[in-house]
Amino acid sequence: MDIFLQQLLNALSLGGTYALLALGLAVVFSIIGLINFAHGELMTVTGYAICFALIWGLPFPLAVIGGLVVAVAAAVLMERVAFRPVRGASGTTLLLTSFAVSAILRVLFQNVISARPIPVSIPTSLSGVITIGPLHLGTIQLISIIVTLVMLLGLNLFLHRTMAGRAMRAASEDFAVLRLMGMRANSIVATAFAISGLLAGVAGILWVAQRGSVDPLMGALPVLKAFIAAIIGGLGSLSGAVAGGFLLGFIEVILQAYLPESLLPYRDAFAILLVIGVLLFRPQGLLARKTIIKL
Amino acid sequence: MKKNKIMLLSSAFAVLVAAPAMAEDLVIGLATAQTGGLAPYDQPNLAGLQMKIDEINEAGGIAGKFPIQTIIKDTRSDSAQTALVAQELVDAGAQLIITPCDADPSIAAGMITQGASIPAISFCATTPTLPLAVGDYMFSNYPADNVQAAMLAAHAIESGYKTAYILTSPDSAYTLKLPQYFGEAFTGKGGTLVGEGTFSMGQQDFGAEVTKIAAMDPKPDVIMTSAYEPDFPAFVRQLRGAGVTTPILGSDGIDSPTTFGLGDLVEGVVFSTAGHATEGSPLEAFNAKWTEKTGAAPDTIYIANGYDLGMIIEAAVTAADSLDPAAIRDGIANIENLQGVTGPITFKGTIGMPLRSVSLVRIASGNRELVVQGQPDPADIPAP
Repeated sequence: MDIFLQQLLNALSLGGTYALLALGLAVVFSIIGLINFAHGELMTVTGYAICFALIWGLPFPLAVIGGLVVAVAAAVLMERVAFRPVRGASGTTLLLTSFAVSAILRVLFQNVISARPIPVSIPTSLSGVITIGPLHLGTIQLISIIVTLVMLLGLNLFLHRTMAGRAMRAASEDFAVLRLMGMRANSIVATAFAISGLLAGVAGILWVAQRGSVDPLMGALPVLKAFIAAIIGGLGSLSGAVAGGFLLGFIEVILQAYLPESLLPYRDAFAILLVIGVLLFRPQGLLARKTIIKL
Repeated sequence: MKKNKIMLLSSAFAVLVAAPAMAEDLVIGLATAQTGGLAPYDQPNLAGLQMKIDEINEAGGIAGKFPIQTIIKDTRSDSAQTALVAQELVDAGAQLIITPCDADPSIAAGMITQGASIPAISFCATTPTLPLAVGDYMFSNYPADNVQAAMLAAHAIESGYKTAYILTSPDSAYTLKLPQYFGEAFTGKGGTLVGEGTFSMGQQDFGAEVTKIAAMDPKPDVIMTSAYEPDFPAFVRQLRGAGVTTPILGSDGIDSPTTFGLGDLVEGVVFSTAGHATEGSPLEAFNAKWTEKTGAAPDTIYIANGYDLGMIIEAAVTAADSLDPAAIRDGIANIENLQGVTGPITFKGTIGMPLRSVSLVRIASGNRELVVQGQPDPADIPAP
């Protein structure tokens, strides 16, 4: 029983990271119909920002804030340079553009910064562990659960209580009508990218804290997981992305924990099979949106 | 107009690349990764090799008469692209091909070079079956997985460990086979393997696996894994976080500044690596030379490893005393006790995986502490 509870806690922590990532993809997709595969590179940018801030001697909290600022700025810049010119183009064009942005950034990181991972000195206080009865929880895992909850709550408040948030929700329903109402499309899209940049930044910090280094390709795997989570949840649905993230984390941890040893190497295959199973019953994802993306 | 300019530029570039070799130039074709997942290994190896090549050319070429000309093409860490590039290099007249730091693309390139009877050397593929898969024109330039595993197993037995747990990942031959070779060598010397866990590379989540290890009763005496960045730091953080204090053995993948930056978490971890700079050793001198030239100390052993490859090429061509690819192949295959900067290198009597010394290093207060250096007893090395 203790072991099961511990595995549940592990699932919650992993699922939280996936949820943050999937949410970053969903925020942008719900507005302009773009699956941003360069989302992972925003995490990498955050990692490098923190890494260099620490090398320059900034204290850790300041470096973290710097990392987040850089992530938001990079996301907005990405939109302005790469995605605004192709806004409204077909989904395929958008998708390929995002692949291109991702590939260009990776090659730049490899050949301008370094192909080798660069260590980031994470304060030792973050390596600690909290023991609750028989359960152990690493400080970083605990922080990632708390941060995920805070981000979800904050995003929810933003979307429901502020003008910009309402405009974004309206944009995801029907962008054309929103523009007829006199809202500026550019500012809404830029806000969506800024939020996705913030989410990528937070996820990037949690990711880097776990691994202790930044390397040019580190964004590839998380964005893939986020994509799967967003698909399970129903593309474009924010709550769906969160649900998908937690479900994916849960599936992965439970399979790792309870598959017999001889089948463990096939864990990822089983996880994807379960995802396909979910999609067979809910082809649009768990919490699909009925509306169609228009611009 | 713009198109014309691009055409002009690219044809100018093509002329540059295809500049005809002088009659007595050794043409080395490098089908290696400048981008993608293998770049972290191929780039430092290339930097080290380039340093040696520059030194050779400054001295008038190998044996004073064979200057080296290189043709460098990016494989993007893709096996199909590696084969394509290898073909281009063979067509361009390369007498020796260097392949990436991994067995899969090296095999892809080897299929081309073996057919053309041109020797190929992988920068640092560690899979011992590589030459078996390709043929007698394929070599590697790094201690093989089973050799590292034998060293680690011997150390485990000497340390009095009776039971071991191995953590593997089916995602690469290195992360899967090295711990399994370790298990084979460890049980061969009287140890017991009490379990095998797995992980997915790049996932950074070991919660479920660590919970299982923490629940083991009794705990294994030692845990061996070939996980490296980013998996190793995440694993050790989560393992120690769960209160498991079992000693850990690792392999050369964790020989990087990140590992040493983990502080108390990695205290006492012992890992195998291709070289350790003891006082007065050639490696220490090389590190000093590198630091003087580039302004920064080498951050990985792969730089010295690349330099050693230059020494292998120099020795092979000197022995062949010709630029005939078949003679160069024989030159490499007959190298015996060549003093490289990482230690002695022998190809004679092997199938193409060199006998090189392996160092076991213990991490003590963020510093390296040499445990043992040398080659394992051949009888202890698990068959590939």
